[in-house]
Amino acid sequence: MSEQTTELGHSLKTLAETLIPYIVAVVAAFVVVGIFLAALGFNVLQAYATILFTSFRTPFGFIQTLQKYVPLLLQALAFTVPLTAGKFNIGGEGQLIVGAIGAAAVGIVFAGLPLPLLLPLVILAGIVCGGFWAAIPAWLLYQFGINEILTTVMMNFVSFSLIDYVATEIWRDPAAGHPTTVPIGAGGELPLLVARPPLNSGILLALFVAVLVYVYVNRTPGGYELVATGANARASRVFGINVRTMFLLSLIAGGALAGLSGAIEVAGVHHRLIEGLQSNFLLLGIIIGLIARGNLLAVPFVAFFIAVLEVGASALQRTMMIPVEIAFIVEALILLFVLLSDVVRRR
Amino acid sequence: MDQFQVQFVSFARLVMLAMVPYVLASQGTMLGGRTGLFSVSQEGIMLVGASVGFLGAYLYDSILVGALLAMFVGGLFGLALAYFTTTLKMNQFVIGLSLFFIGLGLSTLLPKIVIGVTLQPPLIPTLPNVPIPGLSQIPILGDIFFNQNVLVYFAILLSIFLYYLLYKTSIGLELRSIGENPKAADSLGVNVFLMRYGTAIVGAMLMGLAGAYLPMVYAGTFTEGMAQGRGWIAIALTFFGGWSPHLIFLGALFFAGVEILALRVQVGGFGVPYQFLLMLPYIATILVMIFASRWVRAPAFLGQNYDREKRTLA
Repeated sequence: MSEQTTELGHSLKTLAETLIPYIVAVVAAFVVVGIFLAALGFNVLQAYATILFTSFRTPFGFIQTLQKYVPLLLQALAFTVPLTAGKFNIGGEGQLIVGAIGAAAVGIVFAGLPLPLLLPLVILAGIVCGGFWAAIPAWLLYQFGINEILTTVMMNFVSFSLIDYVATEIWRDPAAGHPTTVPIGAGGELPLLVARPPLNSGILLALFVAVLVYVYVNRTPGGYELVATGANARASRVFGINVRTMFLLSLIAGGALAGLSGAIEVAGVHHRLIEGLQSNFLLLGIIIGLIARGNLLAVPFVAFFIAVLEVGASALQRTMMIPVEIAFIVEALILLFVLLSDVVRRR
Repeated sequence: MDQFQVQFVSFARLVMLAMVPYVLASQGTMLGGRTGLFSVSQEGIMLVGASVGFLGAYLYDSILVGALLAMFVGGLFGLALAYFTTTLKMNQFVIGLSLFFIGLGLSTLLPKIVIGVTLQPPLIPTLPNVPIPGLSQIPILGDIFFNQNVLVYFAILLSIFLYYLLYKTSIGLELRSIGENPKAADSLGVNVFLMRYGTAIVGAMLMGLAGAYLPMVYAGTFTEGMAQGRGWIAIALTFFGGWSPHLIFLGALFFAGVEILALRVQVGGFGVPYQFLLMLPYIATILVMIFASRWVRAPAFLGQNYDREKRTLA
């Protein structure tokens, strides 16, 4: 009995020790931005309330948050999975775009197929294309030892032109003013969970994948090798793990996750390919992965919090005329303060 | 002059013009790298430099104010990088990314707060050409090299100066030694911390100026994400140039050449969809990295923090 109590007390203490730096970081970031907003003459308390509670005031706000949560969670995983092996995937944006292109291509070309056939094909195309886009820098790393940070970034810029080409030259929708393709077949659309306001089933897919990734990394030999590689590549090599293959596969897996988020954007949200559909998901994904310190269990929770901030910030723009970019500053500051807490702890 | 000569001169002039942001950002990266500081916030610092450079020039109706403001804000980012990595010994890459985020966010936030949303994009005067008396009269070469804006001259002179500083002075020797072996440098009395702070700040000031160049020469206004990956390309360029000022300068000419060539072919219309031409600079960067990876070497201590009290280096 007493043993159990101490064990419980111990785990509570660990949980508190983990959470306190986060709470301090969030508060500190809000204080800094609050001072900034007050100096500009805005009502700071109203701004805080808007950014924190918009998601929970109305069903619409909550569903909007869940909608935003899906790409953020997947982008964060796309960054975190390679990070587990010690590699930085900054190419989630391009992988999302190429995944979306693949999904849209299948959805348009095979528009006549029924849902049980077309939807899996659309999703699969997104995963494969995203994985392929990551496979290029991954292979360059494997074959020539070229730093993956720069090559993944460069692939983002290449994808911007690619989506522009597809949306303006190949399947252009002449009625749309903005580069957009014609819609995909109805059979390729993700079913809705809630009709109004619309919530597509992409969120189930994303959560399922998040659990799958967590279980794979923490409960299987392959996942163990991945973690070992990230912890100490040299020791892992001596131990007999093929670390180069681990780097290769972790980056491709990251690309596949980003590609899936692209497919969900096409099949669930827009039902067509739209230039700019990647939004700023990549940067937010990286911020989430870094705030979570690469912990796959923490990623889904941090991603939800960031989704709340993002939805709150867009309300801030509508109601208080505070530019939406303020959310980005808050998030970057939270990250910086979380990182700083490591320094404090070290001393 | 015949048709070909006219074409060549105008192409070369544009290459010289486009080379400036690459040179400034890469030389800035090189400076920090020589003391072991590896920053990945170039793109963010360039964007914030473009933003405040534009705002300064717009509000005070002076390009000089804009340029100085961009360098000042860039310097603040450099100071932050140096403090977090050198004093607090935090991971350079993660800090670099965080600063990149903050720069990116500020770059779009500041114009919205200061100017607000306008129907017409607010414009600033572009950097004028300043022909150098005498030299600009030389046929062909005069037009290419001596009839440009001041920052083109500055980029050229800066590269020559940095070459001299790095390879012909004792300060340069000390700088280089820190990036290779800070422990040895420290034991010989080199002030590792001061050098790291100095190169980080000066390097970031150059990146800020590189950003300010974009609205002042290309657009006349600030647009979101207007660095278009030049900051990232600058990192690749620095690696490719083997962290040497003279090779970085040549590399910058190469990337500027690719950029201008892509534009030219686009205008000329050779049947290739223009989107594929826009990909060229980025694909060229990747290809260059493949070739460069075989023969260049980076400072041995690049990307690591030096802790005086630790016995081992890594």
